[in-house]
Amino acid sequence: MAIVRGAAPELTTGAIVREASSTSRGRAWRRYVPIAIGVMMALAMVVMAAGAPLFAPLSPSAQFADAVLKGPGAVERHALGTDEFGRDLLSRIIWGTRVSLQVGLASVIFSFALGVPLGIVAGVQGGKVETAIMRAADMLMAFPTLLLALIIVTALGGSLSNEILAIGVALTPNFVRLARSLALTIREQDYILAARALGGGSLRVMARHVFPNALYALVVVATLYIATAIRTEASLSFLGLGIPPPTPSWGNILSEGRQYIKCCPWITTFSGLAIMLAVLAFNLVGDALRDLLDPRLRGE
Amino acid sequence: MLPYLVRRLVIAVPMLLGAVSIVFFALRILPGDPCVAMMGDQATTEALADCTKSLGLDRPLLVQYLDYLWRSVQFDFGTSLRQGYPVSEYIGRMFPHTLVLVMASAVVAALVGIPIGIVSALKRRNPLIDYPLRIFALLGLSMPVFWLGILLLIVFSLRLDLFPLIGGGDLDGVLAMIRSGEFLSHPADFLAGVGDVLYHLTLPALALGFTLAATVSRLSRSAMLEVISQDYIRTARAKGQLERAVVYKHAFRNMMVPLLTIIGLFVAIALTGTVLTETVFTRPGLGKMLVDAIGARDYPLAQGAITVFTMIIIIVNVVVDMLYAVVDPRITFK
Repeated sequence: MAIVRGAAPELTTGAIVREASSTSRGRAWRRYVPIAIGVMMALAMVVMAAGAPLFAPLSPSAQFADAVLKGPGAVERHALGTDEFGRDLLSRIIWGTRVSLQVGLASVIFSFALGVPLGIVAGVQGGKVETAIMRAADMLMAFPTLLLALIIVTALGGSLSNEILAIGVALTPNFVRLARSLALTIREQDYILAARALGGGSLRVMARHVFPNALYALVVVATLYIATAIRTEASLSFLGLGIPPPTPSWGNILSEGRQYIKCCPWITTFSGLAIMLAVLAFNLVGDALRDLLDPRLRGE
Repeated sequence: MLPYLVRRLVIAVPMLLGAVSIVFFALRILPGDPCVAMMGDQATTEALADCTKSLGLDRPLLVQYLDYLWRSVQFDFGTSLRQGYPVSEYIGRMFPHTLVLVMASAVVAALVGIPIGIVSALKRRNPLIDYPLRIFALLGLSMPVFWLGILLLIVFSLRLDLFPLIGGGDLDGVLAMIRSGEFLSHPADFLAGVGDVLYHLTLPALALGFTLAATVSRLSRSAMLEVISQDYIRTARAKGQLERAVVYKHAFRNMMVPLLTIIGLFVAIALTGTVLTETVFTRPGLGKMLVDAIGARDYPLAQGAITVFTMIIIIVNVVVDMLYAVVDPRITFK
């Protein structure tokens, strides 16, 4: 993975190269546009999720018998229209932000917390420990993320915590691998030798020296995996394996709306748009961070 | 090369074993008795006991597990609880549908993704060309395939009535004609059959292909950037070759090597994509079969489908490793 080479030691060179190559202020400024857009979209999502009760014009479960399957704006109080039970689509989508964001963040934190220590131990210790950890990770890697999450969610049943667990476990091997390859580079550095010479035990070296130096690259990749997690959550819900209705999630709104694409395409269109924008936000941030931190990948 | 191949296969075996075991135990802790799911709540206790016995579910878990492993090796995944015939037969029938979809979307992805990646790398100094292409790639990466599929259905099937809403066409019929040699004696029927299959295939292949194209374009872009800075490219330019020749004869061929490395990844993404794509387009195939099997608590069928998916991915990865040496003679296996 190329990101590995963009780890801590090269970051300083990257900054110097960037300063030297930015002939005009305009070009330097332009580089921050995608990340700014991404951060704003992600923040908007956080605000929307946190303040769902404030922003949603109506209750996401309130059924309006007089406004069943009405198009956007057909009834004044339903800006994005209603579904087959006469529920307000805009309110459901706003409430659905919570599910996506909760699953996206929590599952990545889970896989980070589980995968990074394992990967660092594997990379620093080597030997049998490494073999055992890496074989287990390889085994899980044989499954595509969605497939593994699908197996786990099928086994445990669809609920918020099970989805987080399923996606978290499915993403873990990625963090194990990345953390290991970062640790392999870092452990050869002189400062690790120095830390050991000063009497630092393995655990101390890993926690105080290897981990902080791997953190940058790990966080960049974690951002990209939030996008993956959100998309996987939506996919599971779409397949009917996620959070069961009536709790609104973008995936299950879209899945329910599928039956009505002939008369009422707005249900699937808007819920899908929400999924795409959320995934896009985190992809933008992750991509931009990677470009900024890894001069080799910037292309110029 | 042979010793490497053997070693690579030896490594693949425990991976496969582990993967199959995960599937087995994960589906065993499923809530809900498959016999109850199959026979309904009204079934008598004796009937349920008979069913449990006939499925072998009354045996100790370890015995079931070993038995399952032994039979999986022989491609015997048991009998589908719902359909009543062998899972391997069912998988055999569904496999061509999925294969056709994966191949068609791979073609779309390559035709769209590789040129976009190359142009975006070569014209990276021209923001008017580079930015829209990179935005395309980002949108493609962020767009869930099931949403794109639904949008295509809304526009091309429902509004414009150009393509069918569901189904996969008579692929079985076409394959039967090829097997029996009938396609030579009845070319018109055969072509009509192929046309029908393509008619049903177009939208799913476009949906899956476009989302994959995003990945392909990004990887082509970075592969091209890597290659274009090599010494031999400078040499080619220095000796006065046309830029076109430099790009197509020197750079393009070399960039295919790093691109190959992602075929394994690509197959994994594409197979995952088929689960969603086949569901959206109500198209027969392994992916839809898996989702239906999970919904119906049809253990053997779900197990078989997941096992086959995993096998394909592991085997493709071994094959890709082999391909490196074919494409790039500098790579030797130790």
